[in-house]
Amino acid sequence: MRTTASLLEVEHITVRFGGVTALDDASLRVNAGEIVGLIGPNGAGKTTFFNCVTGVLKPDTGRVTFDGVDVGALPPHRRSRLGMARTFQNLQLFSGLTALENLMVAVDAHSQRGMLADAFRTPLARFEERRAEERARALLHFLDLSDRADTLAGDLPVGLQRRLDLGRALVGRPRLLLLDEPAAGLDTRETAQLADLLLRVRDRFNVTMLLVDHDMALVMRVCDHIYVLDFGEMLTQGPPAEIRQNETVIRAYLGEAVS
Amino acid sequence: MSARRIALLVVALVAVVWPAMLSDFSRSLATDGLIYGLIVLSLVLLTGFVGQISFCQYSFAAVGAFTVGSLVAAHHWSFWLAMPLGVFGAALVGALVGIPALRLSGLFLTILTVAVALFFDRFVLASGTWNSFSGGLSSWVVGRPSFLGLHLDTSYRFYLFVLGVFSVCSLLVWNFRRGKTGRVLRAIRDAEVAASTLGINLTAWKLAAFAVSAGLAGLAGALLAVSIGSVSTGGYDLVHSLGVAAVATVMGVNSVASAAAGGLFLVFGPEILRHLGVSSQWFNLVTGGLLIVQLIVTPDGMVTDTQQKLRHLLRRRADRKAPAPTPREREIDLVHS
Repeated sequence: MRTTASLLEVEHITVRFGGVTALDDASLRVNAGEIVGLIGPNGAGKTTFFNCVTGVLKPDTGRVTFDGVDVGALPPHRRSRLGMARTFQNLQLFSGLTALENLMVAVDAHSQRGMLADAFRTPLARFEERRAEERARALLHFLDLSDRADTLAGDLPVGLQRRLDLGRALVGRPRLLLLDEPAAGLDTRETAQLADLLLRVRDRFNVTMLLVDHDMALVMRVCDHIYVLDFGEMLTQGPPAEIRQNETVIRAYLGEAVS
Repeated sequence: MSARRIALLVVALVAVVWPAMLSDFSRSLATDGLIYGLIVLSLVLLTGFVGQISFCQYSFAAVGAFTVGSLVAAHHWSFWLAMPLGVFGAALVGALVGIPALRLSGLFLTILTVAVALFFDRFVLASGTWNSFSGGLSSWVVGRPSFLGLHLDTSYRFYLFVLGVFSVCSLLVWNFRRGKTGRVLRAIRDAEVAASTLGINLTAWKLAAFAVSAGLAGLAGALLAVSIGSVSTGGYDLVHSLGVAAVATVMGVNSVASAAAGGLFLVFGPEILRHLGVSSQWFNLVTGGLLIVQLIVTPDGMVTDTQQKLRHLLRRRADRKAPAPTPREREIDLVHS
């Protein structure tokens, strides 16, 4: 069993929408430094689970603990300040801003400077401006997007938009990164590149990740531990090699395609 | 010196010297043009950055104008005390209008701004509602103030004063644009949810943007009061707000330079029509026609489009002179930097 300290602990959460039970007593643990995957067929409750962790949705019962703190009652932006960051399945980039500006905004969000300092370009404003740009450029370099710094985010191809979205989440130096279907809309080659990038991100940023996706190639490649969700229940969990062999998973999730 | 600096210097020189050679009448038109330019500038901030179309900018201007009018004419206040109060009042009204903006967006909020304009037009400024503010059926008569010991009674002195105010305000908005404020507001415009996830306080930024925009319009109103020399109802109605919104769109709400171009177009457009022997009443029709052409040909606005083309041209010339240097490769400590 995994024994290191847990960073995220989700215990027995249940969510009902009217008569439908979207999540039924589901639990999950993410240890510091791990990349944990949550997989399951469409409609299994992955997104609902994700929303409970980020705070978009409140579970009817159960607890969500982040680094020892019960975050169940906190709204998304408070959880973000505790060190959680997320990416979006439907790419919520700032499309009218350049790639560089998209990352700079993420730095800006953590500065206290208001409009007055900006209006008169005080020394503080100039200093923070320079620092934000430096940090954004460093990240662009890491993401291999340096030559696209001045391209509007909306004009980038989807694969690069995904990378930028990931970079934006990393700017705030999160301890836990929540990835909502990062491989959606990517082709095989782009997915492979993304897998490499995620592993590099983990090493370089020292960040723990919870990954929700149904792209098996990605999940099997990068995850240390995998949870399988089906009809709102945790079917099973284990390391990738085990999940790949698991009869129940193959039947519930992979279905005929594999056999 | 960069091409941009040279261009700015030339524009500044022309703006100061050329009006000295014009007639008093043309000079006062140019002055009013810059004042209208401030209202266009308030839309650059609100529409260009936050993405919110407003049809009540003249109502904000009215707050500034009537504050100055009533306090200076009826209570013999100094313009220099009444003007900041007018700007502050307009900003306050702007923040109030901004509160629904936290829940509404797009078309619904635009309709709300129409309601605000009608509320001012038909109620607040209507004769009998609040005559000590609106002046009732008569108008407030306001004289020109002095600035640094110089009485701004000649048209050239007053023009220079307005040019100074306009330049400072443009600089402030341009600083917003290239700084954190511009980025944050445009980020909110593009993706609210993502912005709040990053830790951006949507409420505070939206209200601040509305307040500053309304404050700029209020400043324009206060200046208009002393420029015309009188304040009366009728000049601050919905039709004026619609007109300035149309002109701001034609010029391009993404560019600070649109403010000057838009303001001057608003005063010289009707004049040019008159010279051509056409009644200036047709001006709104001309603006409407331009709006249609612009939306098809240059969706970003005429000034914005021209700037982009110029920038492109300059960059191409620069590229031909010297190939772009490859960025210096460096290892950066991403975790601790």
